[in-house]
Amino acid sequence: MDKQKMFTIPELTKLFFVHTKLIAKTTLEYKFHRSLISVAIFCREMISIVTMYLIMIRFVSIKGWDMNEMLFLYSFLFISYSLFVFVFAGIRDFDAMVQSGELDRFLLRPLGLIYQVIASRADFSATLGHGAVGVILLIKTAGSVGIEWNLRNTLAYIAVILGGTVIQASLFMVSSCFSFWTVNTTNLRNLVFFNARRFAAYPLSFYPGVIRYLLIFLLPFAFVNYFPSLYFLNKPEVSILGGWIPYLTPVVGAVLFFLVYTFWKFGLKHYSSVGN
Amino acid sequence: MRTYVEFAKKAIQNNIVYRVNSYAGIINTIVMIFVNIAIWRAIYEEEATLEGLQFRLVITYIVLSFLMQSIFVMDEYLIQYKVRSGSISTDMLRPISFLGYVFSHNIGVMLFRIIIQLTPALLVAIFFVKILPPFSPLIALYFAISVLLGYLVLYSINLVVWLTSFWYFEIFSFITIKDAAVMILSGALLPIWFMPNWLYNLVQITPFGSIYSVPISIYLGQLPETEIYTKILLQIIWIIVFQVIGRLLWHCAQKRIVVQGG
Repeated sequence: MDKQKMFTIPELTKLFFVHTKLIAKTTLEYKFHRSLISVAIFCREMISIVTMYLIMIRFVSIKGWDMNEMLFLYSFLFISYSLFVFVFAGIRDFDAMVQSGELDRFLLRPLGLIYQVIASRADFSATLGHGAVGVILLIKTAGSVGIEWNLRNTLAYIAVILGGTVIQASLFMVSSCFSFWTVNTTNLRNLVFFNARRFAAYPLSFYPGVIRYLLIFLLPFAFVNYFPSLYFLNKPEVSILGGWIPYLTPVVGAVLFFLVYTFWKFGLKHYSSVGN
Repeated sequence: MRTYVEFAKKAIQNNIVYRVNSYAGIINTIVMIFVNIAIWRAIYEEEATLEGLQFRLVITYIVLSFLMQSIFVMDEYLIQYKVRSGSISTDMLRPISFLGYVFSHNIGVMLFRIIIQLTPALLVAIFFVKILPPFSPLIALYFAISVLLGYLVLYSINLVVWLTSFWYFEIFSFITIKDAAVMILSGALLPIWFMPNWLYNLVQITPFGSIYSVPISIYLGQLPETEIYTKILLQIIWIIVFQVIGRLLWHCAQKRIVVQGG
């Protein structure tokens, strides 16, 4: 383990895409089936969009948020989640990897464990399903919510999406740590994650204080979409931190990932395979 | 008949073994109710009618919809599992009706849900959310009948989707797309009186409206008595239509089935 040959970043990137290509090939074996799953996921995610849309055409503006602003706020969740299931699907499916013994195979290979976990999976169907929703929302709203898409804002936007992806990956990774002690927390994780995401669909200012603090400090979804949206939409609440708000997202993501990764490595030390 | 009661009991017992999943269901329902109340509160704060009747009508509508959704849960993958694992062959050898078995199994699932999920959610709804009571005792009776029929409409639609397992290996996509159609076109997501006209009409003419919007409209006393009868009749018609389609599919499926191994 400790006398590993170090790989350079370009080598790792190349290897990542080799993996991705292989996964794409398996996925494309069942073209009809897989595309139908994407369509199904798209339809499922559209349910909440349609609800929001119907409410907004009836009421026009809620607490200073109009339809396009709300949909813009929502689009962050889909785009970053889409990126998450593309890059970090391995973290999502980590429990299954431990149970099937796939993890033990990784441990024998001369490559970083977390790298292999991440590179070994990519969920194309979910990426396309969520991605399509996100991109449609972004295209519909990007021009009409008064954002000037100059270099500064575009960079900030990319930083927010990447940061949001890492935040969600870290939240998923917390539960994967427990599988080292063969405690399966997948159901609990889905429950906590997707319910938090449900709250994050609407502006945080709609909710009572407890929920706000939860989404800022414990499950920092506020940094995935709410705070960045305040900046991009020029809401009056932004004035305190101003232009730095979007860069909080990658910072929170990095800190969170570092903390969870430390815990993960601690778990790995205690790991003693499922088989015998 | 006794056999089918036993099937229902068996389904309840199975669910009790895996009850952790249904605790998750309770939390999901309560969060959904909570999120929706927060949104509607935000809407009505501007119109300053927060304690008004309008607001309480909306909340009652939403909460009833979520309570019904929490018990209208069925074992969507039962038939697919039976077909894939091949255990359908033993089921077909038995001197029982397979569709009767599927139905009683799902009734068992619903009874379990009523006990474990509806009760706590209902307590929350009555004491914390303070939903409106039914318009009158007679209306409460009509509501109960209509909920039951709504369940049967959903069950019959589901049955048609499930039976496609005989032709298609993996029906996750069909089920998910069906669910989306049900949610959007049944009026489960927001009160139908807020919908734009075209969607409102779509809810009225598709079978989906019979699942959630009809019982809830009855509960809120928004339908005159004659219209209650026509709506209930409509629910029965939809049940018959989808049951006939289901039976036909099942008839074809029986001829088609080839089970691997022997």
